[in-house]
Amino acid sequence: MNPFLFFGILLIPFIAGFIGPLLNPKRATVLSFISFIIPFVTIVYALIGQSFFGLRFARLPEPLGDFYIFSDSISSAFGMVVALISAMVALYSYPYMKHRFEEMNLNVKKEFRKYVFLYQFYAASMLWLVYSGNLILLFIFLEISLVSSFLLIFMYGYGNRRWVAMLYFIWTHVAGALTFVGFLVIGFENSTLAIKDIASVGYIAWLLIFIGMIVKLPGLGPHIWLPWAHAEAPTPVSALLSPLTVGLAGYVLLRIYLIDSWFIEAYRIPIFAYAILTSVYAGFSVFRQTDYKRLLAYSTVSQMGYMLIGLTVGTFGLMGLVIQYISHAFGKSILFMTAGGIIASYHGLRDLQKMGGLHEYIPTISNAALVGFMNLGGILTVGMFGEFFILKGIVDVFGFNLWMIFAVVFVFILSGWYSFYTLKNIFYGTPKGMERPKINRLLDTPLYAIGIISIAFIFPPLATILLQGIKIVLGGVVP
Amino acid sequence: MELMVIIALLLITLGSALSFRVRWITLPISVIALIMVSQISGGKFLEYTGFVVVIAILNLLSLGIMKKSQIKGVDFGLVALIGSATIYIVFTKDLAMILTTFVVVSVPTYMLVFVNDDIPNVKIGIKYVTFMVLATILFVIGALILSYNHNNFNGTVYILGYTLLIVGLALEVGAAPLHIWAPDVFSNADPIPVSIIASIAKIVPVVVALKILIATTSPLTASASMIAVGIGLISMFTGNIGALTSRELGRVLAYSSTANMGYIISAFVVLINPAFLPLAVAGILLQLIVNAAGKIGMFSAIKEGGGATHLMYLLALSFIGLPPLMGFWSKLFIAVSLINVGYTWLALLLVLNSTISVPYYLRVARDLSGNWVLSLGTIIGVVAALIMLVTLLPPSWFVSGVEKMMEFMTFNLGGM
Amino acid sequence: MTFPAYIPVLFLAPIFLSLPIALAWVYRPGAAWARKLPILSVLGLFISLIISLYILFRVPSESVTIQWLPGFDINFVFTFDYLSKYMGALTAFIAFLIGVYGLEYMKDDYRLGWYWFFFNTFTASMLLVVYSDNLLMLLIGWEGLGLASWGLIGHWFRDDDDLSYVGDSKRRIGPLRLFWSPTTGGWRAISTIRFGDMPMFFAIAAIYALTGTLDISQIPWGDMFQKIGIAGTVILLFAFLLGPFTKSAQLPFSEWLMTAMTGPTTVSALLHSATMVAAGTYLFMKITWYIKPWELEGVPGLEIIYLLVLFLGLISALYGALVATGLLERKVLLAASTMSSLGLMFAAASTSFWLGKIGLLVAFWYLMVHAFAKATLFLVAGHLIHVTHSRFCEGDLELGKKMKIGFGATIIATTFLAGIPPLTAYWVKSGMDELMVELIHDVGALPLILLIAVSVVYAAFLAKFLSLNFIKGTRPHHIDLHGGQLMSSAYAIMVSLMFVLLYVIIREIDPSTSTFFEAGLEKTSFLVGIAVLITYSGGLIMPRIRALANVGFVLSDRLYLPFLNDYIIPGIGWVIASIVDHANRGIDSLFHRWVPEFFERISRDIRKLQTGSLPIYIQIVSGIIIAILIIGALMGWR
Repeated sequence: MNPFLFFGILLIPFIAGFIGPLLNPKRATVLSFISFIIPFVTIVYALIGQSFFGLRFARLPEPLGDFYIFSDSISSAFGMVVALISAMVALYSYPYMKHRFEEMNLNVKKEFRKYVFLYQFYAASMLWLVYSGNLILLFIFLEISLVSSFLLIFMYGYGNRRWVAMLYFIWTHVAGALTFVGFLVIGFENSTLAIKDIASVGYIAWLLIFIGMIVKLPGLGPHIWLPWAHAEAPTPVSALLSPLTVGLAGYVLLRIYLIDSWFIEAYRIPIFAYAILTSVYAGFSVFRQTDYKRLLAYSTVSQMGYMLIGLTVGTFGLMGLVIQYISHAFGKSILFMTAGGIIASYHGLRDLQKMGGLHEYIPTISNAALVGFMNLGGILTVGMFGEFFILKGIVDVFGFNLWMIFAVVFVFILSGWYSFYTLKNIFYGTPKGMERPKINRLLDTPLYAIGIISIAFIFPPLATILLQGIKIVLGGVVP
Repeated sequence: MELMVIIALLLITLGSALSFRVRWITLPISVIALIMVSQISGGKFLEYTGFVVVIAILNLLSLGIMKKSQIKGVDFGLVALIGSATIYIVFTKDLAMILTTFVVVSVPTYMLVFVNDDIPNVKIGIKYVTFMVLATILFVIGALILSYNHNNFNGTVYILGYTLLIVGLALEVGAAPLHIWAPDVFSNADPIPVSIIASIAKIVPVVVALKILIATTSPLTASASMIAVGIGLISMFTGNIGALTSRELGRVLAYSSTANMGYIISAFVVLINPAFLPLAVAGILLQLIVNAAGKIGMFSAIKEGGGATHLMYLLALSFIGLPPLMGFWSKLFIAVSLINVGYTWLALLLVLNSTISVPYYLRVARDLSGNWVLSLGTIIGVVAALIMLVTLLPPSWFVSGVEKMMEFMTFNLGGM
Repeated sequence: MTFPAYIPVLFLAPIFLSLPIALAWVYRPGAAWARKLPILSVLGLFISLIISLYILFRVPSESVTIQWLPGFDINFVFTFDYLSKYMGALTAFIAFLIGVYGLEYMKDDYRLGWYWFFFNTFTASMLLVVYSDNLLMLLIGWEGLGLASWGLIGHWFRDDDDLSYVGDSKRRIGPLRLFWSPTTGGWRAISTIRFGDMPMFFAIAAIYALTGTLDISQIPWGDMFQKIGIAGTVILLFAFLLGPFTKSAQLPFSEWLMTAMTGPTTVSALLHSATMVAAGTYLFMKITWYIKPWELEGVPGLEIIYLLVLFLGLISALYGALVATGLLERKVLLAASTMSSLGLMFAAASTSFWLGKIGLLVAFWYLMVHAFAKATLFLVAGHLIHVTHSRFCEGDLELGKKMKIGFGATIIATTFLAGIPPLTAYWVKSGMDELMVELIHDVGALPLILLIAVSVVYAAFLAKFLSLNFIKGTRPHHIDLHGGQLMSSAYAIMVSLMFVLLYVIIREIDPSTSTFFEAGLEKTSFLVGIAVLITYSGGLIMPRIRALANVGFVLSDRLYLPFLNDYIIPGIGWVIASIVDHANRGIDSLFHRWVPEFFERISRDIRKLQTGSLPIYIQIVSGIIIAILIIGALMGWR
């Protein structure tokens, strides 16, 4: 595939960001959807053809190095998910944000303009992030996505939205700043920041990037920002924030790992233990949440622990990381959209204690939630491969270490438990005499589209293409 | 070349004199004079000159927001004078001229600070002038000691000179712990004169200090730099933390200036390794430009009782240091050069400081948010925002400009 | 990439043909036309049945590969060997018959789309497990079973119908209420199964990591065990077997099976005969078939595992049988009996370690016999619940007369399953007796004693079930007999298969049955058979013994095992969750309250300097300048 054509197509979302505000909300939604679905199809096509390439557009002095964008199957795996989820959430945004604007007594047409613009920038910057060939470029897209999502929370969030937006900004800014200094140190040690030219990553750089990305991922401790931000963001933003944005920290760590993996290898055990602790801790936190969106946010923390585990267990762990990202993105976007569906149907209902038996009234959303939780648990969805590769990685790296096996297995068990526990509490049980709302089809259909794709990914040909591609890039030694 | 400057100065004087009758006449004359002075660059380092001219013009325009002025017309002339000096300072290699320029920039602000819409603000003016005089004395003494000592080197004297210079600079630009005048002046004086004090007037002292310090580097620079690092650090933290709970916008911006000066002064430590000096200087200059443009935009908005929402957020985000706005690149260059000379921890504290600053910048932006109205303030805001956006093109061009300009920065005191 | 087209159709037909009703119910729930769509779902099951019969009779033993992850040497490999051919046909047959039964049984249900979709997915998943040679592919089916069982057990999610509960609403022990709703039943099922599936998943990944292949028939089991040593073997196989143990409800994972009775009876029938629980034992048989433990004498870890399975199976069997004697709920009684049978299957299959393939054959044939009998009993129980509107055993001879087919089917199913000579199960059970007798040499007499105990108790509660429902039970308050033709014909056909199996065994049509057919002619087997007949008669005559009522309560409380599921484990979890919750609050306060407050305090202190008084300012500034100069001077001195 022609690189120019490919990256031209990736530009479409940005362009749509400028055109969208000129149209009426309905058309802008369609445009927004198309602007992401075209890249999605293109990326899948590139993945099938296994076409890898780079395209340089600037050569800056040391230590910045070449600014270029490139595509390999890892980028494409991440990019594909970003494009798909963004497209589906774009459709979902229309009814949801309309509801939200009306709730906030804002002019729908006028606000939707701002919304579309910010949305396009937010999603497109994440799409470009995974194709960035220079760490500074990557950082710039990271910050663009941060600002646009910050503004979306700031303007349309729930609760104490300004405070939450600020909190979100500060935490991710800390993450960004630490990573940024780390990148710079890399730049000086190698006199370039172009990913292809970096030869090694020193201790300080690794440490800074690792800590920065742990804050963003987030790991145990810094995780505390995430429930606030994800719960109070307007739901379509949550549906990008949680599935896509935080996981990109894993992408950054993966990229650095692929350049120079010594840090992770040297501190494998403590990082692994920390990852497990994060997962288990957050997994248990889920049980005590009374707010559906906060619950999902804690589950995100737990799932991000998986990615960190994947990082520590060798080549197959990395494959697990990539697939875990995909699977979590599918699942969590569906789930946040179900939360939004409930909010839109029942005037901001988020309190779990007031839910129960909702399947009676909103069966389509309930069924979608099932698919979402299946993704989290890796049941019959692409997450299955993620868990499989992580487990294989553990045997490869640690052998039959009973404690480690037990820990990881327990993490997986726990996520299945909280998934079905939550489902039971929200959707099943005796109905509570609510009325049956009329659901806009855009509030449930996109969820199923994601769900079907997530299931299709365990079967050929999609599974074959995806895993084969990742394997080639990671150079895994596969018997 | 110097001729152009002299003509320009004459023009400014003439304009100021004429303004006795028609206030506005000085404005075009000042602009013309500025452009004439900018010819001194002879095409070299246009990047810097261009920014300074634009900022000076913004300052001139902002004076237009004031309904009346006690020194009507002359205020334009004074700003033009500061602007001219700011351009000139980069290109002169003569110590006497350098120090003169410093004074030329300092003194007009004494007058400007009194200016007000109704009666002159004497109380606050005196507060400002007191400290400025002290600052100027300390600074000049420090500069002279350093220059003299350069040829008859004595370690103790060198460090004393360095300290005096830095203390003078800190007092002049309002860096902590000598920032004490700044919050009061910034919040009580009229926003427009303050915007001049806070923006263009900060550039020359820093450049002068840099020039003198570069010229007098010695083996003891490394230890002397600890003074700069200390003041820089204190200044960053004091500024950013102090701003957190301030309510008056003027005060917040005063603390913000203190923080920005902290970033700049801490970058002085890069002097210990001349190889990375161009990057540091580029960072310092960009930071000064960011500070200037942002402060003008915000103070104008304060004066008008609010600015366009988008512009205010853009300026705030640039201050925070968000890529690809200019505020990001300036901090990037400073951080990069700090890491290069082995001060990674300082770079880390610098970026962490930019995090502390997030809440108050956003608060300022929110408080200043308003509608788009066609007014002078909005126009100034737009231009300021455009300056922040110039770096959409990664400013490697600015760095290469500084590299070419370094020959002017390093002048030789040997002949004295 | 060529493969016979019928293979994907085998799995996809049931799923795709259930989609019309599933979708129709989403958009037009309860519409009259939608209620006709289940026919399509049953058609899908029928297609699977035809294909599986075709495979049984016409396809040679071989495997078929469909490319999946060729780069990892993981592919869809379908194997048609002895076990899978029979098992596939059995599954498809039973599923189809229950499907037909369900057409009538579930006619007026409020959630048909959900029901049929999961019912067919359940069947397709089981078929996938049955025919799969690749462990990862098997896992898809395995997870599908778990998910579908969750969906079906919790089918009546409204929890509003006492008929769908399990337990007695008045029965309380300490903090625990022995009364479970369908949603609780579903949750207990999926949580238990998850607990077993993940270790099994790990074992599969470990096998892949060690050998690079996942095809059960290709894995060099012996070499692998040698490589990882005794501890490795035990860990790996134990982790692997946790999957089958939880799925097949062996101790202590049996609770979910009891509360699984909250699902529609059709589901229980399918779950207990040919799918879900059978999947566990089937998988154990299948891997044992290829591990060939009887050829791996030198691997010490292996014996530990097979001993574990043997005793766990027998003890679970005894537990299940005892519990069943105490229970009065129709379906829960049958559930406990299933658990008991599964234990026997595990035990019989595990003897293959010492005795060779014969153990597997006996276990497998017992699985088949049990499947048809248990399916019949469940279908009859379902019909009874429809007729009497009660979950508990009730019914006298009058009811028996009114439901002649049901009565007859129950008599046949219980007698044929109990092991009364010379009926079907007798021959298989004789095989088991024979195995345990031979095992005395290796393990001791305990297995034989346990087996006989189980057989005896088993017969008793089967007779009790018959007696309490059709002969000597209380007269039902309510008898509603209309309809039922489709249901009765379904279980009539089902039970007739018992005769077919009897014929197959006695005529030795399948050569592998001959070994245990001969065992049935032994004297010891006959003696056990007589003992079984005696307890069966006893159960028939005295289904309830007043004097033992208290023992019955203990048994029907399932020896207090519910505490494990409902009290101990959730309790521990809840404690940890509370600790974690407090920690979260702490961290939240630290970062979002104390740290900002700290900064704000410093900030206020900084601002306190701003008094506005010039003299003070001058003092401060002079002081600071002097201080800095002193510091500078000191530095210069050095």
